[in-house]
Parts: sequence; C-alpha cells; structure tokens
Amino acid sequence: MKIKINGTEREVNVSPETPLLWVIREELKMTGTKFGCGMGLCGACTVHQNGVAIRSCITPVSSVVGMEITTIEGIGDEQNPHTLQQAWQDLNVPQCGYCQSGQLMSASALLAQNPNPSDSDIVNAMSGNICRCGTYPRIKKAIKVAAENLQASVVEFSPTSQVTVQNPVQSSQAPAQGSYGPTQGPDAPAQGPDALAQR
Amino acid sequence: MQTDKALNQVSLNRRDFFKVSTSAAGGLMIALNLPGCASVPAGSKEDSLRPNAWLEITTDNRVIFTLDRVEMGQGTYTGMCTLLAEELDVNPESIEVVFAPVDEAYKHPEYGLQMTGGSSSMRVMSPLIREAGAVGRAMLVAAAAQVWEVSASDVQTRDGKCLDGQGRSMAYGELAELAGHQKMPDSVPLKVAGQFKYIGKYNKRLDAKAKSFGTAEFGIDTQLPGMVYAVISRPPMVGGVVKSFDASDAAAMPGVIKVVQVPRGVAVIAEQYWQARQAQLKLKTVFEAGDIGKPSDDDVFSLYAEALEKGGSKEREEGDVALAITQATKTLTAEYHAPFLSHSPMEPMNCTAWVRDGRCDVYASTQVPDIARAVAKRESGLGMSDIQVHSTFIGGGFGRRLTQEFVAEAVSIAVHIDRPVKLIWSREEDTRHGVFRPAALHRLTAALDENNQVSAWKHEIACPRILDHYAKDAAGAIVPGWAPQFMVKVGAKLAALTTADSSPTEGAVELPYVIPNIEVSHAQADAGIPVSFWRSVGHSHTAFAVESFIDELALQSGGDEVAFRLKLLADRPRDVGVLKAAAAKIDWSKPPAKGVFRGVAVHESFMTHAAQIVELSVKNNQIQVHKVVCAVDCGQVVNPDMVEAQVESAVIFGLSAALYGQISFQDGEVQQSNFHDYRVMRMNETPEIEVVIVPSQESSSGIGEPGVPPIAPAVANAVFRATGKRIRKLPIVLS
Repeated sequence: MKIKINGTEREVNVSPETPLLWVIREELKMTGTKFGCGMGLCGACTVHQNGVAIRSCITPVSSVVGMEITTIEGIGDEQNPHTLQQAWQDLNVPQCGYCQSGQLMSASALLAQNPNPSDSDIVNAMSGNICRCGTYPRIKKAIKVAAENLQASVVEFSPTSQVTVQNPVQSSQAPAQGSYGPTQGPDAPAQGPDALAQR
Repeated sequence: MQTDKALNQVSLNRRDFFKVSTSAAGGLMIALNLPGCASVPAGSKEDSLRPNAWLEITTDNRVIFTLDRVEMGQGTYTGMCTLLAEELDVNPESIEVVFAPVDEAYKHPEYGLQMTGGSSSMRVMSPLIREAGAVGRAMLVAAAAQVWEVSASDVQTRDGKCLDGQGRSMAYGELAELAGHQKMPDSVPLKVAGQFKYIGKYNKRLDAKAKSFGTAEFGIDTQLPGMVYAVISRPPMVGGVVKSFDASDAAAMPGVIKVVQVPRGVAVIAEQYWQARQAQLKLKTVFEAGDIGKPSDDDVFSLYAEALEKGGSKEREEGDVALAITQATKTLTAEYHAPFLSHSPMEPMNCTAWVRDGRCDVYASTQVPDIARAVAKRESGLGMSDIQVHSTFIGGGFGRRLTQEFVAEAVSIAVHIDRPVKLIWSREEDTRHGVFRPAALHRLTAALDENNQVSAWKHEIACPRILDHYAKDAAGAIVPGWAPQFMVKVGAKLAALTTADSSPTEGAVELPYVIPNIEVSHAQADAGIPVSFWRSVGHSHTAFAVESFIDELALQSGGDEVAFRLKLLADRPRDVGVLKAAAAKIDWSKPPAKGVFRGVAVHESFMTHAAQIVELSVKNNQIQVHKVVCAVDCGQVVNPDMVEAQVESAVIFGLSAALYGQISFQDGEVQQSNFHDYRVMRMNETPEIEVVIVPSQESSSGIGEPGVPPIAPAVANAVFRATGKRIRKLPIVLS
C-alpha cells in the first residue's frame, strides 16, 4: 500500500492493521516519532493527519491511505526550523528529549489552527502529551513565544529588508510558509542572548 | 568532603592522571591515565586508536570530547562541555561530543563503575574536566610560544585560537600536533570565579537542537542492517518462572522467525515489531511462582511491621532516647507508609543486540555501560573484550536504567540468531516487569519535655536494601573480566557485604534538627520484589516521613512551621539559607489567598540543600497544587538555567509520585499497567513553579535529584492545613 508522508508517496509492505507508528519508524526508518505507551495516552507518537494531531500508535496504517501525514521530520530542519523548533531551543525546553517530537507535533497542530492561543488553549491542546522530565512550564512558554513570533513576523516581514532588530527572538523569523512550513531562512541571524535573558 | 579529595587527587597526581600525546591523526590527545590499572584488559577493538581518549584536538581544528557520563535529560552533556570550554577557551558549541565506550578509564571515581547516577557528575567530574581543559590550553600555548619564539606568558587564547597580542594568531588545530610534543606543565592554574566566561553564565542547552528536530538518537532508534524485532512473554507474577509453553500457533504467524525460551520468559522474534506482538498473542504459556511466592501489598507491609517489632540496626545514636522518652511530658508516635513506585521513563526499556562471529554489539540507553557489558558477557558466553556497548541519548533514566535486565534479555535472545535483534518492552511490561522504588514503613516517636521542647527523636525504618538486588549484576563489572566465574559470584557476595547500603536510612540519619537525643534505625525487610534506585533513592521516602513528622511537632509547639524549623536548624546555615529564601519568595509573613493553604519542607540530599513551600487548595477531596517555590543551594552553579530546569523537573516528578504514584501487588502481580492507572502529571495539573538559586561559593553538588524529596511532605503538610487531615500514607488520596 502507498501512504503519503511529508509530501512524498511511499510504498510500504505491511499488514493493513499495523499501527502507523511502526510503519514510520521501521519501514520508513524515520525515528523522530517515538513509541511511548501504545494506547494513545502519552502523545510521544503524535503526527499530523491532514493537519490534525493524531496518535500514530493506535492508528492503523490502512486508515491513512490518501491522507497527508506529517512527522517531526516534515515540519522543519536545522536549516529551516519551524518557529516552534526555534523557540524550543531558545527556551531550552528539552531535557531527555524523548517526548519532544510529539510535543512539537501537538503544538504545531495547535498553532496552525489557532495562531494566538490563550493559556487555557495551550493547556487543552497539550495535556494529552506526557513529559516525565516535567518540561511543561517551558513548553507552555515556548508555544507563547512562537505564537508571538508568528504574529510579529506577519507584520514586520518584508522580503527586501535586512532583519536587524534588537530583539532577535521576536523578529528574526520569516513568515510561515503555509501552516507548518519553514519559518526561518538560512541566512537569518543566529539567535542572540536568546529568550532566556528576557525571562 | 569527597570533592576535596577529588581536587587533591588532581593537583597532586596530574602527571599520573592525564597522559598527553599525539593522536594517530597527528592532533593533540589528552587521555586518562590510570595508575595501577595497566594489567586490566581495557578499551575495545573499535576504539583502539583512541584508548582512554578524553579530549582530542585534531589538525583540522575539531575539539572532540569523550563524554563518559550519559545524557538522560539532566544536562551533563552541556555541563561538561561548559567546564571544558571554560578552561580550554573555546566556544562550548564548537565541542563535538562522542559517547564513551566501556573502559576502565571512564569508571566513576567513587562508585568504581562506569555509572551515571547519584546526582554526582558535576560534583565529581568538574575538577578533572577543568584540569584537562587547562592542561590542553597550556600545551597549545606552549606550542604557539615555540612557533612565534616568544615566552608562553606572551601568548593569550580566545575562542579556540592562540594570539600573540601583536596581530598574529593561530587556530588550535594548527598547533595541535606541536602541542602534543610539549612537556606537560607542572602546574596549571584554574580560573577563579571572577575570570569565568561560561561557568555560572552559560545559558544554552547544547543538546536542545537535536532534540527539537527529532534527530537525537536514543537506544530505541538503533538501526542496523537486517535487524529483526523481539518481544518477551514474562511471568505475570513477580519472580515467576516459565513452567511450559506451546509456540506452534505463534510460530505460524506472519513474519515470525523463531520462538525461544530465555531466562526471563519466552521470546518471539519476527521481521517486524508488530508481527512479533501479534504472534505473542498466540503464544500459549504456563507460568508458576518462583522463590518469593506471590506477595501482595498486605504481605509486604506485614513483613515490614514484624521487622519493626524485632528492631533493626542503629544507624545513628545520640544521647539516650529511651531515657528521654520515659522522662517526657508527652510523646508522639506516627507511622508513615510509602508504596512501590515505577520510574516510567518515556522511552520504554529496549536494547538491540547483535551476536555473531565471536563478538557482541549492544546498543542501549543505559546508565551503566560496564554493567551492560558484564550481563552481555554472562548471556553470550563471550569475553569482555568481544563485547562492545554503544551508548546513546537516554529517553529518561531516573535510576531505571541502572538495572540492566533488558540488556541481558536482548543478548539472551540474540544468541539464537545471527541478525541484530531489537527487543522493545511495551509500556505495560515497563510498568509491571521492571524494578521498583522500594516500599517502606516508617515509625517515628518524639518526646516533648515540660517546656514543650523536642527532647528525643526515634526513627525506625523497615524496607529492603537496594544493593542486595543490585550487587549480582554489578559484580560482573566490578570484578575484572578475566576473573573466573566463581570469582564473579564471590564478587557479588562481597559487594553485598562490604558495600554499606545507606539507601534505607539516607535522609533520615542526617536529621538536621538540633535535638538532644536521636536514634535512627533500619530494620531489614525484603519481600523479594526487585527494587532499585529511583530518583533521589532513599530520600524519596525518608524526607516524607521526617518532614511530615517535624511538621506535626511544629504544630504541637504551637509555633509557625518555618520559625520552628529555623530554630532547630541553628547550626545548619545552608538549610537556613534555603528555607529563608523560599519563605521570602512566597512572602511567608503574609497569609495566602482565601481557600489556599501552604505547606513547607526542607531537605538535604546529594550535598544540595532544598526548601519548598507549596500553595494548594482542596475541593471535593481533589487537591489542586497552585504554586511551588523551591530554593536550592547546590554550591557553585555551572549553568543556572539547567539548575532551574532540573528543579522544575524534580518538582513535577515528585508531584506525580506524591499525588498518584503507586505500584501495588496482588497475588504477586502488579496491578497497574499504563499511564491511565499509573498516572503522572500532565500540563493541566502542573503548578506554577518558582526556583530560587541561593548564591554559594561551595563546590558544585547534585541537582538532578534534590528537588524531589521535599515535595511530598510539603504537599502533605499543606493538605493538613487545608483539611485537618494528617497524611501518613503516599500517594496522597483524600476520601
């Protein structure tokens, strides 16, 4: 059967009821998506199905045929990080890091739907994702920082202007290209003293 | 105390400790030199070109640091690089980190094992790493001085370059080869506090990048050519054994390669993980109880109660407690219960093992690579030097990955097939078949004199010794690989007998309060349920008992619980410091909002002092924790943001246990299975957490664990204020 993942059609040779998680990890060898509980309780396996966060550990692969699946590898990379991935680094969110792909996928689905979430919107969207290291306070802050960056970038971005503003976290971001697209160009200035200094 | 010892060792024996040379590729190499260990076969085939390597500066200007502690979220990766960068004078981000293989050189100087645990990495390694960085820098400076024909004192360094102040500069890489031929200096001064560029200031987390893109590799992410997958059906009763099994249906399932019996159960090996799981459902197994029978919680606590009645070994004795009790105006006695707990790290237990052609490769998230190697040796029958352990990032440790049965399991399967095998536990297996924080029973008795002063404190604790469970596997790593098998058995006994296991009473023995008569004892009681180290170990239950009981006494004296503690902490300035700092932060003198109640606890663990004050409310027997203030004194801080992160982490980890954590046994079977019945904190339950770092010039001490112990008693004490109900049993459940 064929599934479309991060924009590419991939042929997979598995039985139809195999959970999407194992297809992604073993057949497609994309290990950013993690196994945590196998019951949809912890969110470590979160991916997007047509832009909506789902738990791939309880999703039969046959049910996503014809859908757009996006994994952590599909929302950004080191050259073109998602705004959230940048905020995650600026706020030193990860500890052991194992749950963070799932956290980022839940957060990116939230921001795609609701670019300016309130505290309770964030809590509602993120409480299905468990972090045993307890990075919740930082995840919450990072989502807010990323949302602010998205808002700011929509207003401030001009393709011809050199981005040289005092607050790099607030303004070094290029605009979102589509819902989950890369948000920072390769030439954007490195993050300065970073968001921590402002906390 | 131990820190001073380590420091002295470095300054006295540097020449013995470091070995400076030119690497095979012509760069500067600083290796660890271990006097007296020369006869031990060390190193591995793969790494023979970089024996005991620690720091290498290559001619193409790379700074490669071999990290011999593991990164499991606690920040050691960043912390170690920061220390090295400070003295070597390079940007921390420019350091390439490789995870250490198993080698004698990488053993923890205090534990004698290649272990990451005990919140000790920064404390123990800091002097050595800084020294290595300083030696490296001095050699590079000497090389530059030689090239430029100037005195070494005329050479400065900045961000990986040597400068002569006259406009000439050379990158470290250009000097690396020449530096390797310099004489190691007799004395190299380390920087002092005012000179620090990174220590205490650096606020980045070096592994955050890979962990934000899903590219950090954990043990479970291991990919090898031709890899197959395995699962194990284990006895449902703890300590049980396989009586019989019928694999015919399972073996006929799609993708199944083999079904084999292994020491811990029956393993299904298949081409895909999901195929192994489906086939496992068809496996017919009959299990029976092992040596320990089928214990239930009631049996465990009855055993503990009996042990308390018999009395235990006295671990601290001051004054005459018995006399003080007979002379008391009033006595108070209370019992506190702590349950078994699971660690439940997010990455379930897993291990990939590949046994072929007389060698064995193990890929695992492990806190003890040398014990992993020892159990792999036992299961494979190969020699130590035939086994290579590949360390990875760890998806949560909390002490769980100090026990290596998952490695033993994987190797015991891998010997049946010549392809690499990845064993993955389910979450249910992780919850049920692991090792647990020991349950414990505490009995406390206090005597008050005619002035209502505490005249005696008697603390009796019944629980098992962790090392009794841990020694067997650990002995294989402590006793060198060439020792015959009987020596390993002797080693296990020796380890159990000669290593004082302080875990049952740690945090109780060190009672910080000034009380004239003190007695603390441990009554050994072990139901055979496998137990291990759990974040903050013994402190996780002793602090609950001590800080709850001291709160009961504070109320008896009619005083304010902060003032009561401060008075009894008269000769403990660091405890006083953190308690005052926490009280100031929460504005203790002003009452909390209506319906909100406060609870206090202060506790020292891993040489770090922590005080916590919580604010919570209780509605319909539901506890909502609104805010936690935690003040810590962990000595000199390397990375303040990492300290804050670890404290936030510890508070949330501790809250999960305080409010929900319980592994219960019924007829030998764990009653919990996954995150719905072994609940942990989620974002919607997480309180606001404020961290105060009390400035200190003391040596760096632990930070991964010390935030855990005070939270349960602080919450319990606040619940008492809110409800009038004294909580003497964890988890805190109101009804």
